[in-house]
Amino acid sequence: MAANGSPKPEPMAAKKASPDLLNSSFSFKSLKLKTKQQELLLRVSILGLVYVLAFIARLFSVLRYESMIHEFDPYFNYRTTLFLTEKGFYEFWNWFDSESWYPLGRIIGGTLYPGLMVTAALIYWTLRFLRFFVHIREVCVLTAPFFASNTTLVAYFFGKEIWDTGAGLVAAALIAICPGYISRSVAGSYDNEAVAIFALLLTFYLFVKAVKTGSLSWALGSAFGYFYMVSAWGGYVFIINLVPLYVLVLLITGRYSMRLYVAYNCMYILGMLLAMQIRFVGFQHVQSGEHMAAMGVFLLMQVFYFLDWVKHQLNDTKLFQTFLRITVTSAILVGGIALGVGTASGYISPWTGRFYSLLDPTYAKDHIPIIASVSEHQPTAWSSFMFDYHILLFLFPAGLYFCFKRLSDATIFIVMYGLTSLYFAGVMVRLILVATPAVCLISAIAVSATVKNLTSLLRTKQKVPQTGSAKGVGSSKSSSKVTLDQSQPFHKNGAIALLVGVFYLLSRYAIHCTWVTSEAYSSPSIVLAARGAHGNRIIFDDYREAYYWLRQNTPTDAKVMSWWDYGYQITAMGNRTVIVDNNTWNNTHIATVGRAMSSYEDEAYDIMRSLDVNYVLVVFGGVTGYSSDDINKFLWMVRIGGGVYPVIKEPDYLVNGEFRVDKGASPKMLNCLMYKLCYYRFGELVTEYGKPTGYDRARGVEIGNKDIKLEHLEEAYTTSNWIVRIYRVKPPTNRL
Amino acid sequence: MADHTTLPHRFFLSISLLSILAVSQPDLTKELVSLRSSSESGVIRLTDDTVSKFITSVSTPRPYSLIIFFNSIDLNSNPLQEFRREFAFVSASFIANNNNRSDVANKVFFCEIDESSDSEAFGLFGIQFLPQICLVDPLMENLQDKTGRMEEEDVDGTAESVVEFIESRTNLTVGPLHRPPLLSKTQISVIVALIAISTPFLIKKVLKGETVLHNSRVWLFCTVLVYFFSVSGTMHNIIKGMPMFVRDHEDSNKLVFFYKGENFQLGAEGLSVGLLYNVVGLLLAYVTNALVRVRSVSGQRVFMMLAMVVSLLAVKKVVYLNSWKTGYEIQTYWPSSWH
Repeated sequence: MAANGSPKPEPMAAKKASPDLLNSSFSFKSLKLKTKQQELLLRVSILGLVYVLAFIARLFSVLRYESMIHEFDPYFNYRTTLFLTEKGFYEFWNWFDSESWYPLGRIIGGTLYPGLMVTAALIYWTLRFLRFFVHIREVCVLTAPFFASNTTLVAYFFGKEIWDTGAGLVAAALIAICPGYISRSVAGSYDNEAVAIFALLLTFYLFVKAVKTGSLSWALGSAFGYFYMVSAWGGYVFIINLVPLYVLVLLITGRYSMRLYVAYNCMYILGMLLAMQIRFVGFQHVQSGEHMAAMGVFLLMQVFYFLDWVKHQLNDTKLFQTFLRITVTSAILVGGIALGVGTASGYISPWTGRFYSLLDPTYAKDHIPIIASVSEHQPTAWSSFMFDYHILLFLFPAGLYFCFKRLSDATIFIVMYGLTSLYFAGVMVRLILVATPAVCLISAIAVSATVKNLTSLLRTKQKVPQTGSAKGVGSSKSSSKVTLDQSQPFHKNGAIALLVGVFYLLSRYAIHCTWVTSEAYSSPSIVLAARGAHGNRIIFDDYREAYYWLRQNTPTDAKVMSWWDYGYQITAMGNRTVIVDNNTWNNTHIATVGRAMSSYEDEAYDIMRSLDVNYVLVVFGGVTGYSSDDINKFLWMVRIGGGVYPVIKEPDYLVNGEFRVDKGASPKMLNCLMYKLCYYRFGELVTEYGKPTGYDRARGVEIGNKDIKLEHLEEAYTTSNWIVRIYRVKPPTNRL
Repeated sequence: MADHTTLPHRFFLSISLLSILAVSQPDLTKELVSLRSSSESGVIRLTDDTVSKFITSVSTPRPYSLIIFFNSIDLNSNPLQEFRREFAFVSASFIANNNNRSDVANKVFFCEIDESSDSEAFGLFGIQFLPQICLVDPLMENLQDKTGRMEEEDVDGTAESVVEFIESRTNLTVGPLHRPPLLSKTQISVIVALIAISTPFLIKKVLKGETVLHNSRVWLFCTVLVYFFSVSGTMHNIIKGMPMFVRDHEDSNKLVFFYKGENFQLGAEGLSVGLLYNVVGLLLAYVTNALVRVRSVSGQRVFMMLAMVVSLLAVKKVVYLNSWKTGYEIQTYWPSSWH
């Protein structure tokens, strides 16, 4: 606590003014603690509770299922972490993985952000060193909750920095259970975002602190925070664009200072040098268009400093004006020319597709189906905001208002962070995560400022003589309010009513968050759960069943073809080579698989032979009613396949623009490989009482082709609920 | 494709036959001309009665051709209505280009049939999908015949495609398209005048440093606006091209503003909910920060009560809407010993 400067005087004075409001203060009195110590003890214990709360709120999935890794990408992270702990860092850094993207392979060390794996491995090694013999999987499962707890601490210090300790505490409590953050940090979601949000907030906090103090050490800290962020997540691009934007706004609004100069230059130069050590980023940091804003602002800072210096040297204002005009014009000219030449010569690479799709939201839909196909890249509807933020949405505008009432370098930063990230969250659902800390902080300002105003109203009634000291930092405005109060007893009732309202809202928030965490965000998605007819919980563990089958019943060098979603899981759990996986770096390769899935069996056979495929894996929800199966993803396979191979045409699979699998489906649809593999032998099966055979429960129709004959493939394994079906590719028949 | 190449010949043949028959059925052409002149951009709205009057009960060859656009207001599809506007441009341009040549202008009429009001006439053509454009040439008897239809892959929603279709099938030239400019001349002149008048004042203000950009209230307003548009899902509406509201499937007079389902929304519902967020938030800020400075005590009381009631209603409404839309029911988890 000592490192964070002396606490502001007003909270302790506040406690002094109303010790009888807190039951616990009696025990403090008997212990003869000073007010300052009381306040510190309260703060630390609240923070400790929040820290624990943030951790345990994320354990629903472990309690309900078991300690396991969730979803898709975390399986890759788990696999690489395992490799790192077994083989050591240098092996990991130079790892060429021949088990994915067959026959191309993938250079793992150069194409991933190693921050998460290294963090987990360090925790693992530390625990081993302390003689706690845990399994690496447990460490991976609990990494995200651990970092979420740490984020609450950073949120506290950040809140304290931009407003006061009260706001910091509220921010920590809000972010601890905010569903927008929990969605990506429950136990088992071992993904980059788990540590990245911590790193993001830490970088921002340290930078704001550096701007406030102008101290090199804070700026250095922020550069290291940035380095950690770069090592952990591609979202670091947000930092390297927001910080220069913030600096630019400060420059324009005339808030340039030496503090800003020190903070930004140190953070940018050191941060850049450190970031370039990550192989996946490397020279992109000085070459790609996404990073150019930071460099431009850096140069602009030098111009500002230079002008300041010249102004100091020249005492003649007129001369300086002329000089200013010439320098500014030539600086802009030189910058423009350099950017133009760099882009034209290809030295500065243009923006990537993802970046474009953020700035021009309609871009992805038209140009990059592989980005548009991912469900978490969809734009956000208002109900998703409500689901993830709940009452924070009501508090945010109030927080904005308070920030503008007390404008400072720090509040300008948080307002800019909040607004830009909320805009991006509107474009892509997954970016709600990035906006969450800002929304929590700004809402915390609203809560804290409101509650503080109201309680001071209540208190001044009782202890009139102390009002002066209670308003240590309060402006003359609030003291005039106090004097007004004394003649208006009505205010007390109003303040109580408002306080009750605020606490009611906050309690609803807590209820909402707990419910959402438990019901919506704690399912591992590799184990599916459904409610049975009697309200009991039914577990479908088909994925793991299939992957373990692959692991135990197929040759070790077998190649498995599936849609890219399942690639990471097959390599991590099935330990078999895959053709494509979730690292969608090679669009053509994915399109080839899409083409095979959407062709007739004999055409697909040629493609599969050329890729040495031994097994084909499809996910099918017709029996269980599981809706995110391969048939529902099929149009994306067609689109992605057709994007590279024009022989695949989307209208061939549609009837009057409609996607159907029943009798009215298009002939191409009824005979393509994906349809055959999903519905093979399905025509014999009765899935629901009172329905004909071959009734698809996921789409609610009777299928159109019940008599499916396979020529070049044979069924190898179908899991107990038919969710995963595996087929063996037959070797070519002997030629006579 | 063979059919298409013969179409212009059929058309010529029919034109030559017309000259004989035109005398016998001049009234229909006259009636069509008057209908055309009374309708907007010259597109005649055909009803169940007029279809039989001008097409089915007239013996072939008819003295005119009809180009029919099949529309459906109930479908409420933006691309379709945009295509309908493009179709109107073609019609208006054709009339304008052939204004003084009645022999050409009175041979082709642009029409429209709406499925929602005249489903019988619509059914005569056996249209399976929209948008669809059909040329009823003078010799056409079987309306279900697909040779008069525009090819499916040619229908791309632009006026140019319609022009190409007409010119390839009829030997007529439509001529240059006349699209209305984005701003009319008077609008442009007013804007220019406003800018010209305000420039000196603006320059003076900028020099003095008194622009709106120096006012923090303006910035506050802008940030709240950005917030409002972000959380109300405006980006969702832009990217997915959602309309503000749709018509009910069963009752076309009823408008649907709220869509049930988690991942989609209509424009109006997002904006209204976004407004509620802002109302509550700003009221809270106002009550705790600005209201205390109001001198009148009774004014303070009334406003405060009002603010509390409005906030309560707004929060309740949003929570209700959210539960309804997503179908989730939030429950409290009590300790199991409490049950």
